Amino acid sequence: MSQVFSEILDVSLRSIYVSGFATLLSASWSIPAAYLLSLRRRVVVLEALIESLVGMPTVLLGLLLFLLLSSSGPLGFLKLLYTPQAIIIGQAILITPLIISTCYRALRGFATSYLELALSLGAGRSQAVMLVLRESAPGVAASTIMGFSRAVGELGIAMMVGGNIRGFTRVMTTAIALDVARGEFESAIILGIILLVLMIMTAISVKILMGVRAQ
Amino acid sequence: MSRQTCMISRRLIALAMILAAAIVAGSAHVLLSSEVRIRIATTTSLYATGLLDELKRKFEEKYPGVRIEFIAAGTGAALKYAERGDACAVLVHAPSLEKQYVERGVLEAGVIFAYNCFIIVGPGSDPAEVRGSRSVIEAFRRIYSAGESGKIIFISRGDLSGTHLRELGIWGRAGLNPAGGGWYREAAAGMEQTLIIANELSAYSLADIGSYLRLRSEGKLPSLVILYANPDDPDMINIYSAYVAKACSGDEKRYALLFLKFLQENQDQIRVFGEREYGQPLFRPADENIEKLGDLWSEFASGMEVGFP
Repeated sequence: MSQVFSEILDVSLRSIYVSGFATLLSASWSIPAAYLLSLRRRVVVLEALIESLVGMPTVLLGLLLFLLLSSSGPLGFLKLLYTPQAIIIGQAILITPLIISTCYRALRGFATSYLELALSLGAGRSQAVMLVLRESAPGVAASTIMGFSRAVGELGIAMMVGGNIRGFTRVMTTAIALDVARGEFESAIILGIILLVLMIMTAISVKILMGVRAQ
Repeated sequence: MSRQTCMISRRLIALAMILAAAIVAGSAHVLLSSEVRIRIATTTSLYATGLLDELKRKFEEKYPGVRIEFIAAGTGAALKYAERGDACAVLVHAPSLEKQYVERGVLEAGVIFAYNCFIIVGPGSDPAEVRGSRSVIEAFRRIYSAGESGKIIFISRGDLSGTHLRELGIWGRAGLNPAGGGWYREAAAGMEQTLIIANELSAYSLADIGSYLRLRSEGKLPSLVILYANPDDPDMINIYSAYVAKACSGDEKRYALLFLKFLQENQDQIRVFGEREYGQPLFRPADENIEKLGDLWSEFASGMEVGFP
């Protein structure tokens, strides 16, 4: 029993580590991208393109990454296939369109006006940018949470480029898939509940953090 | 305002630094680790039983610093991984496919390390009267005629796994083509899921005995019973072989070869596995019947037609 428990704990912690990391990584380029996008006008086509990629099937992205990272693929020399790092990269790419598009929606419109306002009040360039970031923080945080939820809940990438290796690349969704394939519905359900609780708790804790900060 | 923005930028810098540190630590962990990783692609039916994890533990105890990583996939996918150089060894059970890969020079050092039996499962009432068949060919003929007259459903794996290929081979040898009949349904799923579907629909299916016994002992297959099991019927023998990929090299290959040797030396482990939990062993070691199995393997590899006539 304790072995089952430690395995569930191990898988859950790995999921948090891998997807949390992927979210931070993705946010590090997606938020600046959304910010740059919000400063420009006439981005309808780009916007539509990014929005359409939000629903990218995870197995398709997983397959593309697999072919890239495979030993006989162009990036095979990196030896990343079947490592947690491969899942992190894959999930970071997966949630990039989601974070950009939701973040862009939070920044659109008011970014330019706030920037102009701050500059006209004599703020420096970096000060003005910081102000915009601070004012849009709740929206940006919400989009990051959505990114984390999508990353931690996806299966295709973790399966294809992680390989579901026990104690190394097995995360919650791949563990659930294995349990279902094995007919072990009970432990699949336990993991599923943990996954849902994790997603909800992340969202709530980030909201609380934001709330405290806003006061 | 400037004090606040200052705080935020400091926070951002700190965040970026943590991120950078984590990335460096993460990649260093992979690059600098002195462990030898051996990637072994394995058929799902073998992995799902837990036998491989037990063998892995023993092997890693014997060779510290070596880490075996199992990638569970269908036999077809496992062989593809070996061909692409993404797995160093494979554990599979589809002789006709294996032979193609050996001939193409993808695999080498093949050994047969275990076997068990395929069985036909179905509802206890047995409307197709499979019980009492003298051969699996006859059993499939009975299933076909009962299916055509609308009395039963047959669930096929439909995923090009070893079990699926064997099923297709048996239909072919019986001279029957069940595809297209509404009673013949392809689950495109693993063995356990296929059995659960068959149980839900009170349908017939071809299964390996290990998967059936495990699920049955857990009470998940209340309406499925074994209707045909015959260890003397060569069509029902399920042979598991291990190979090393030619593309693999260095330490990984050295230990992969040692693992194959280990499988042959630890036949007792395979002999008793599952006895306690499931009432009888799930696999039989190959060493008792190695010559007969070798002959059967060649027969399957060359004679079995894949696909319907």
